[in-house]
Amino acid sequence: MVRFEVVTTPDKPVFQRAVLGLNGGPLDSAVVRLACGLAQTGRSELVGVHVIEADWSHELTDDLVGDSAVPQQILDAAEAIAERARVPMTTVLLQARNVGAAIADEAAQREADLIVLGLPYRRRFGGDFDEGKVIPYVLANARSRVWVVREAQPAEDAA
Amino acid sequence: MIGGRRPLRGTKPGDRRVKVERPHAEYFRYAAPGVLTAKAKASEARSRQGRLWAQVRRIVIGRPLASEEEIGERLPKKKALAIFSSDAISSSTYATEEILRVLVLAGATGLALVSIGMSVAIAFLLAVVATSYRQICFAYPSGGGAYAVSKANLNQPAALIAAAALLFDYIMTVAVSVVAGVAAIYSAVPELFAGRTVIAVTAIAIVTVGNLRGLRESGNIFAVPTYLFVIGALGIVGIGVVRIAIGDPAVTFEPREAITPPLGGFELLAPALFVRAFAAGSVALTGTEAISNGVPAFKPPESRNAAMTLGIMAALLGILFVGFTVVSDAFGVIPRPEGETVVSQLGRIAYGQTPLYYLFQAATALILLLAANTSYNGFPRLAEIVARDGYLPRQFAFVGDRLAFSFGIILLGAVSAALVVAFGGDTHALIPLYSVGIFASFTLSQTGMVRHWLRERSRGWPYRLGVNALGALMTAVVTVVVIVGKFVLGAWLVLVFVPSIVAMMWLIHRQYAAEERELALRPDQVIGPPRRRQRVVVPVPGISRAVVQAVNFGRTISPDVRAVHITNDLEEGQRLRCEWERQIPGVPLVLVESPYRELVRPFVRYLDVVDLDPEVITVVVLPEFVARHWWERFLHNQTAQRIRAALVGRPDTVVASVPYRREAAET
Repeated sequence: MVRFEVVTTPDKPVFQRAVLGLNGGPLDSAVVRLACGLAQTGRSELVGVHVIEADWSHELTDDLVGDSAVPQQILDAAEAIAERARVPMTTVLLQARNVGAAIADEAAQREADLIVLGLPYRRRFGGDFDEGKVIPYVLANARSRVWVVREAQPAEDAA
Repeated sequence: MIGGRRPLRGTKPGDRRVKVERPHAEYFRYAAPGVLTAKAKASEARSRQGRLWAQVRRIVIGRPLASEEEIGERLPKKKALAIFSSDAISSSTYATEEILRVLVLAGATGLALVSIGMSVAIAFLLAVVATSYRQICFAYPSGGGAYAVSKANLNQPAALIAAAALLFDYIMTVAVSVVAGVAAIYSAVPELFAGRTVIAVTAIAIVTVGNLRGLRESGNIFAVPTYLFVIGALGIVGIGVVRIAIGDPAVTFEPREAITPPLGGFELLAPALFVRAFAAGSVALTGTEAISNGVPAFKPPESRNAAMTLGIMAALLGILFVGFTVVSDAFGVIPRPEGETVVSQLGRIAYGQTPLYYLFQAATALILLLAANTSYNGFPRLAEIVARDGYLPRQFAFVGDRLAFSFGIILLGAVSAALVVAFGGDTHALIPLYSVGIFASFTLSQTGMVRHWLRERSRGWPYRLGVNALGALMTAVVTVVVIVGKFVLGAWLVLVFVPSIVAMMWLIHRQYAAEERELALRPDQVIGPPRRRQRVVVPVPGISRAVVQAVNFGRTISPDVRAVHITNDLEEGQRLRCEWERQIPGVPLVLVESPYRELVRPFVRYLDVVDLDPEVITVVVLPEFVARHWWERFLHNQTAQRIRAALVGRPDTVVASVPYRREAAET
C-alpha cells in the first residue's frame, strides 16, 4: 500500500473529517489513499461521496441507480481501501442536479473541514485545459478547505 | 440493494439532493456483479456473551485478519530460517547427549573417537538427506513434503504412512523440544527441576496461543533467540576447538567423572551398542523436512528461498552437532542421570559461570521452544493438505481468525501436553518414541523422488536420481536401525500408533467418499419442480400465541395441517379440543392419550402411523419460545428439543422450528 508521509504537529491533525468526491475514475484510488495516509496520522474520519447527476428528464427522487452495481462498487472500492488502512470511512450515495453543490452541501452538513477531489487531465476541443464544472463550483462555494488532486500530464501533452 | 430515498435541502434554494439509502453497506461490500463480500462487522457476534467471547479472543489471539492480508504473512529467509530451522538446529542440544548416554553410561570408556566418528556419520547422512530435500523444494513448490512426494510418485497407502509418521513426529517434536528446553532452564537453575512438568505444559500453552495469533507474529517472537543460540553455540564450538588446538590441560579425552556402572572397555562395543548409539544420535536429523513442507510460507521465489534456507540450516546443524560431540569428548563431559544437560556443561566450560552462560542457557531454552514452534507451522499445514484430500476431518482445513489453521494448532498443543504429562517431563523417556516416524517418511519421500526422476528425466536427472537413491537407501537402513535400537525403549509404541493413524485416515476417507457418492448429482441431471406433497404435523401442548404462529406457518407450507396433542388426561384433552375448534377452526386436532405419561415416543409412533404414503413428506413444525435470558432456556422448549432429537435422521421427515419472541406479543 502506498503510504503518504505528512509532517503534522502531534496535537493538530490535518483534518478532522474529510469528504472525498468519488466519480469512479482512475483518481479515486489516489484520493482515498492520500486521505487515508493523512487520517492515520490524526485519527480523522473520511466520508466518501458519489453523486449521480439527475438530468431534467427525471425527477430527482427517481430510481436512477436501477440494477446497476456501478455506484455501489465505486463507494465499496473506496471503503475497501480505507478498511485496509484501518481508517474509519462512511460512504454516501446521492442524486442531485448539481454535483458540485451536492458535494459542498454534504460537506457542510457533516461539518467536514476538508474536501478532496480528483481532477483528470483533459483538454477541451481547441486545446484549453478542461477542469469541468464540479471543481470550479466546489472551489467557489465550499465552506471548508478544498484539495484537488490533478492527474499527471500525459506524455503527449507535455511534449 | 437500494433502499429508500431521502430528499435533503441544500444551502441554496435550488440545490436539493437526494440521499440514496444503502442498507447493505454496513455489513457487505460489492465485489463484482452478483458477488458480495462480508465486512468484519458481518462476522461480529450478536449476543452479549458472543461479543464478550470475541473480545477475549481479540485480546488473546489478536484481531481477525482478512484473507487478503495473507500475502503479508509470507516469510522472508531470515525469519523463515528462525522458524523452520530451529527444530533441526536445536536437536543438536540433545543429539550428542543421547549418543554419549548410550556409550558412556553403558560403561564403554575411552570411546571419544567412536562417538566423534558416529556424529560425523550422522552429519554425512544429514548432508545426503538435506540435498535430497532441496530437490523436493523445487520439484514440489506447493509443499507437503514426504506426503506430497509419496502421493505423486508412489501410492496412497505409502503417502498415508508418510503423513501419519510425520504428524506423529510433529507431536513428538513439540513434546521433546519443550521438555529439553525446560531441561536447559533447570540446568542453570536446579531449584526448578521439581516443577519441570508444570513449566513444560505452561510453555506449550504459550506457544499454542502464540501460533493462534498468526505466523508472522510467531516469527517475531522467536527469531532473536534462535540467532542468539546459534551465535552462542558456535562460540562454544569455536572456543573448544581453539583450546584443543593450543593443547589446553583440561583437554584429556577422558571422562571427568566416575562412570556408573563401571563396566568399561571395548568388550561392550557389541554391534547392539553401536546400533543403539547410532539410533539415539539420529534424532539430530529430526526437523530436516520442515522446510520442504512449508515452501508456500516463503516469500517468492518460494522454492529458491526454501532450498537456500535448507542448505544454511543443514550446514549449521552439522557444524554444531559434530562440534558439540568433539568438544564434549575432548573435555570429558558425560551426561548426568538427572539434572544438568551436556550442552549446559559445555556452556560452563566455554563461558564459565558468567552472565554469558546464563544468556546462552536462556537462548537454548528459547530455541527449543521455537523448535516446538516449527511443528506448529508444519503440523497444521500437513494436516490441512491431508484433510483437503479427504483423509482427515475437514476442520483441519479451516483457517482461523488469524489466518492460522486453528484446529490443528489446538490439537497439536493438547496431545503434546498430554505426552509431556504422561512421561513426567523427562526428555530421555520421550526420545525413544522420536525419529522412527521421521526416518520412515524420509525413506518414502526419497523413494518417491527416485521414481519422480525416472519419470521426468529432466536436465541433470542421473545425478539427482543418484542423490535420492543414496538417501533412500541410507534412510531405509537407518529406519531399521532406529526401530531395532529403540524397540524395547518405546519405539514399539510408534509401530502401534502410526498404523492406527493410517487406518483412521483410511476410514475417514472411505466415509467421505461414500457420502460424496450419495450426495453427488450426475452432470446430465436437470432438476425439475418438486412432485411430492407435504403434510404438516404440529405437536401442541395447548393453545398459545407460539402455537398459533407455528400452525399458521404450517398452513403456508401445505393445506394438510394437523395438530397433535399428547396427554395422559383425556378430559383435559377434550377441553382443549373444544377450545381449539372454536379458536383455530379448519385445523384438525388429534388427541393421543398416553397412559404411560410418555410424550415423545407416542408422538414419533403417531408419525409412523400417518406416514404410510411414501409420496408425502412430513414436516414437523415445532413451536418454540425464545428465551430472553440464558437462564430462561432451562424453563422452556425442553420437549421440543427432545422431539427434534428423536426425529434426527428419520426418513421423509423435515423438522422446522418456529421461534416465538415475547417482544412480538408486547407489540
